[in-house]
Amino acid sequence: MSRDAPRPIGDTLLKVEDVSLGFGGVRALSGVSFDIRKGEIRAIIGPNGAGKSSMLNCINGFYQPSEGRITYKGKARGAMRPHEAARDGIARTFQNIALFRGMSTLDNIMTGRMLKMNRGFFWQCLHWGPAQSEEIEHREAVERVIDFLEIQAIRKVPVGRLPYGLQKRVELGRALAAEPELLLLDEPMAGMNLEEKEDMCRFILDVNEQFGTTIALIEHDMGVVMDISDRVVVLEYGRKIADGDPEAVKADPKVIDAYLGTGHG
Amino acid sequence: MIYRESGQFKTSYATDQAIFPILQDRIALAILLLVAFVGAPMFASDYFLTTILIPFLVFSVAALGLNILTGYCGQLSLGTGGFMACGAFAAYKIATAFPDLNIVFVFLLAGGAAALVGVVFGLPSLRIKGFYLAVATLAAQFFLIWLFTKVPWFVNYSPSGVISAPPRAVFGFFVTGIEATSHAKYIFCLAFVALLALVAKNLVRGRVGRAWMAIRDMDIAAEIIGIRPLHTKLLAFAVSSFYCGVAGALWAFIYTSSVEALAFDINRSFQILFMIIIGGLGSILGSFMGAAFIVMLPILLNAGPTALGTPLSTSTIAHLELMTFGSLIIFFLVVEPHGLARLWQIGKEKLRLWPFPH
Repeated sequence: MSRDAPRPIGDTLLKVEDVSLGFGGVRALSGVSFDIRKGEIRAIIGPNGAGKSSMLNCINGFYQPSEGRITYKGKARGAMRPHEAARDGIARTFQNIALFRGMSTLDNIMTGRMLKMNRGFFWQCLHWGPAQSEEIEHREAVERVIDFLEIQAIRKVPVGRLPYGLQKRVELGRALAAEPELLLLDEPMAGMNLEEKEDMCRFILDVNEQFGTTIALIEHDMGVVMDISDRVVVLEYGRKIADGDPEAVKADPKVIDAYLGTGHG
Repeated sequence: MIYRESGQFKTSYATDQAIFPILQDRIALAILLLVAFVGAPMFASDYFLTTILIPFLVFSVAALGLNILTGYCGQLSLGTGGFMACGAFAAYKIATAFPDLNIVFVFLLAGGAAALVGVVFGLPSLRIKGFYLAVATLAAQFFLIWLFTKVPWFVNYSPSGVISAPPRAVFGFFVTGIEATSHAKYIFCLAFVALLALVAKNLVRGRVGRAWMAIRDMDIAAEIIGIRPLHTKLLAFAVSSFYCGVAGALWAFIYTSSVEALAFDINRSFQILFMIIIGGLGSILGSFMGAAFIVMLPILLNAGPTALGTPLSTSTIAHLELMTFGSLIIFFLVVEPHGLARLWQIGKEKLRLWPFPH
């Protein structure tokens, strides 16, 4: 399923240098460096507990690295909160679904537009005039996301009632509604059946191609990773053991030893 | 329902997002408002207005306020009574300091004062959650009541500590004080409640409400999509306390015509909490249902046995009331945490298909 048309891969969007992260005595990450280029699909793989999710949490400001530097859009970042990362155009989805269960699909995706809505409290009280036209303008944007993900039928259904695969899709929708420059996906296909995985792959590729969104994803399904990603970084016990295009990574003996584990014969 | 939305197609997002998208609902609302504004004052007795409808309206405002904080934003609060007391005493101080100020502005300013106090006591909500926050708001409750009882400045140095609401008029009709008729009070209250309910609905269906619900449902995910937790929680505290403050001012000026701190003790806070649990957490309609239920229940318990020919003693009724509340709270918490409003919604969904099973 390799892609035919070459996509424009730009300069470095995000650069991680010597990042370490410790929780008490446990070192989740030690001295990890890699970069993400604009417009690419970058996969982070590794065995359980390798520090993949910790890496994403550092990138979107949920954890502060104890050492090292993260440079985003050419600027080194200081300590920051997740909502500041969101302001800078970083969106993400979670390994365990983190939807707002009491709200409908539509409202969940509308929350993704939160940062783009700025009518003041007074107009919100009236829900009329500028506040209403703003609401409608963003509803249109959300409806485009809903069309894109083909979830028109569940627009008004509370997300708690949806099956797992659709919840994952709604969560992707909420991240897309923010029109991010960098989209972090934490195991977007975990627990899905083959058909749902294929749908999700198609959405990820379409997001990348149509909107030019840079994507960093964690995934355990090797077939998927090798198919859709441009470059792969492999972590083990918090260290980087390989980095490169899928073919090179697949052939790397260290990776085979650590993770794939099958290639010895 | 006996009616349904078939044939009513939405062709714009504006109509799809309306509060009442179905025509029959809009007609029902218009009839309800007509009955409330015209029918009730024409036909209801003074007794019915002053002991049932006015307290129901006042409680509805307080329940709306607590529902915004607890039902929509997920921050449990036991300080409702304290914030109501803030509104009542602020209204009294403002009304006596500026005798010429229109009573509408007095109430709005009193709500604003309560909102400021609410923000101060909401500050711990960034760090503590759930039960611990409830205890922090409990501290607010006790501190505020203590303050209003102990500092004579709040009651303008009245020796008894109980003060009566000064008479004020709107459009030439007295709405507070002894000269005010129960009809004028009722209409004034109703207008306030209708507007506040509309504003609450507008807030919760827009950006602000979605931010509140996001914080309630999953605060980590909310922060990651760019919602600032402290800002959002404090806004909920401010709006909630504004509503509670206005409710307190209405209580003191319109319902009881006297301002006293003991009317807003911890029992009041629990009473409002019961209203939103029974009525429905996270529902505007539920706030009204809960308030109606809790105002009506003692009256029904009183009238029911008498009508059946076995009048009960007052103390038995008081105990029955507590027992009924207790069992209902347990029932709703276990069976239907979203209260009467949710039961209403389920009923509508079932009737939509009735009599067909699917």
